Amino acid sequence: MSSPWWKVALSEEITSTKPFAVDVGDQPVVLWRDAQGIARALEDRCPHRRAPLSRGCVRDNGWLQCGYHGWSYDGETGRLKDIPNMKDEQKFPPVYKAAAFAVSESGGFVSVNLDQKTAIAPPVVPQGFDLCDTAHVALGHDQWINALFDDPGLVLNIRSVEFTPYLMSDLREENGLLVMERFCLWGKVHWPSYATAEFPITLITRTHPVTGETEAVLRDDSFRTLLTAQLAPVPAARGVTQVRWRARLGDDLKGSHAVGLRHKGAFAVRETVDAAALRVLIASASHLAGKLREDIRTSAPDTASSVSAAA
Amino acid sequence: MLEVADRPASPETEHFDSSAPAAPKRSSGLSLNAVNNWVPHDLVMRDSWFPLAHDHAVGKTPVRRAVYSHPFYIWREDGKVVASEFHPLEIVTRDKSPFTDARGRYPVMEHYGLIWGWFGRPEAADPAHLPSLPFLPPKGGLPKHMTATIRFDCSAPISLENLIDLTHADFLHADVVGDEKSDSEEVEVYYDSETITMVRTLVNKSVAPIMKFFSGIRQPTQNVRQVIRIYLRSHCAIAYGRFSPGDDVPLFHPCTPESRDRTRMEMVMNTSNAGPMFRHVMPKAGYKVSRQDSSMTNPQSPRYMDLSPRKDLHSKFDQAGQRYRLLMMELAARQDAGDFAYRDNVSTDCSDIIGLRKELFQF
Repeated sequence: MSSPWWKVALSEEITSTKPFAVDVGDQPVVLWRDAQGIARALEDRCPHRRAPLSRGCVRDNGWLQCGYHGWSYDGETGRLKDIPNMKDEQKFPPVYKAAAFAVSESGGFVSVNLDQKTAIAPPVVPQGFDLCDTAHVALGHDQWINALFDDPGLVLNIRSVEFTPYLMSDLREENGLLVMERFCLWGKVHWPSYATAEFPITLITRTHPVTGETEAVLRDDSFRTLLTAQLAPVPAARGVTQVRWRARLGDDLKGSHAVGLRHKGAFAVRETVDAAALRVLIASASHLAGKLREDIRTSAPDTASSVSAAA
Repeated sequence: MLEVADRPASPETEHFDSSAPAAPKRSSGLSLNAVNNWVPHDLVMRDSWFPLAHDHAVGKTPVRRAVYSHPFYIWREDGKVVASEFHPLEIVTRDKSPFTDARGRYPVMEHYGLIWGWFGRPEAADPAHLPSLPFLPPKGGLPKHMTATIRFDCSAPISLENLIDLTHADFLHADVVGDEKSDSEEVEVYYDSETITMVRTLVNKSVAPIMKFFSGIRQPTQNVRQVIRIYLRSHCAIAYGRFSPGDDVPLFHPCTPESRDRTRMEMVMNTSNAGPMFRHVMPKAGYKVSRQDSSMTNPQSPRYMDLSPRKDLHSKFDQAGQRYRLLMMELAARQDAGDFAYRDNVSTDCSDIIGLRKELFQF
């Protein structure tokens, strides 16, 4: 099975002035932009004395310099390029290098692949999502995705939107993605959802079976798109999930609640999860997702298209 | 009296009942033991009418429904109801399903005050396959307060299995329909290939609190005859209670499988013959009762998504539930093999089968 691409950062987070530390599971990664503005990624560990490279700096020529003894690395290859005060002896054997990871930038996200040798860069799509942020959630990656499947309200906050337990369609596989559509209500005085005849909005989610990368589309009952969000959960150290997201509003917002989405903070990934509610959440869609994810991973590991490409 | 064509349930049981004879082997079809392989989540019924909406809920603007996740958009054109798998404003990017005609439209009909959509081969759609509901006026017209939309967070067969075992009501709904105390309780089960009917007769049962408060029943007990009749394919049930003293309460209790783990009920309770208070209050009890049911069926549902090596235990009161499982599995197996024919008629008037007091329901 090929190694997945993880959307570990927003494009804005990666600069040529300050290294940026992330992790993919237990693997620490440092990102920065080189002199050409290309995002680079190395293991966040100096091969010299194992100091985090992210505590160093980016040199004018685009090399990453360790903040401990000043060793400098080229981002493309990870090769050691400079040791301070070595004067004319700056030629180093090939083993003098930091582990480099494949990097790709598309749609306002920077992705890394921990397997640089076999990684094939995903297609580049333009960035058209003006809202963005990062949330760190004290919940494991799989559990975060399962919560998204069973009750999006536990992990997402969309202004005035109440997520109901009712699915317009069961979770299903479509082009290698896990797709489902959930009925939603506007947060106002109304019948409880179990006694509601018609729902004004739905949330469609398309989720990558391995990474959990999800496109979420909020749509009204006249098929107007109210909001589109891309969610990129990445497993991080200590069971934390880092969720980067970008969102944009629809062009044609009708009704006071839809227009209210224009206000700041209309969309957010929750930093904290209601553990009491999570504990008693009935595993329904996620139960199917577990089986589907396993089927997709084993039967066609490379066919799952990226969420943004499929959209 | 029950229709003779309906076969009474054989005494073969898997429940704990020392007086019951040993279970005879079935000559054909599934063994009753198969009920332990019950995975209702995987059952999909085709070539059937499903009740999708109350007629008053559908106008010129499309409303959205689903059957097994297949979208049904329903609206009226020149007063005539149409159902399509595509919304009129939808930019169509998906293929048409085999369940609609060239225009993407489902067979649809209006009867008993409900909109019925056909899910299956369009060419097989026939009003003759519409379930008989003799306590509802064929052309509709019951007041809105006798109708409601209620949703269950579980698969439709789970919801119907819950319904056909009414002993749950004595505990889950005791505050509405009374507790389990009675002098005697008898359960009979009758079935054919398309329906199952359970008749529960209780003598001197604790009076239903809702009748005590809203029908003015003063006696501490009442005799009760409850009938549950399920039309297997369309997941529709009749729940008809005759309470003496008390009222006749016929309920249309459909469980439309909008998805395989969520169920929609467009219920109709014809309380026209009851007193003014009870007539208005009783249909509203569905909102409370459904929540009580969901509190159990919601956590149940995922536990029936996979085959389990652990068998369910049964009592003698589970005859109907076991038979329901078996009939559904047999029908599903037949459909899997490509046989969608109706071997028994579902539209024949079932008044006698459910023991309907016809004089109360003349249309």
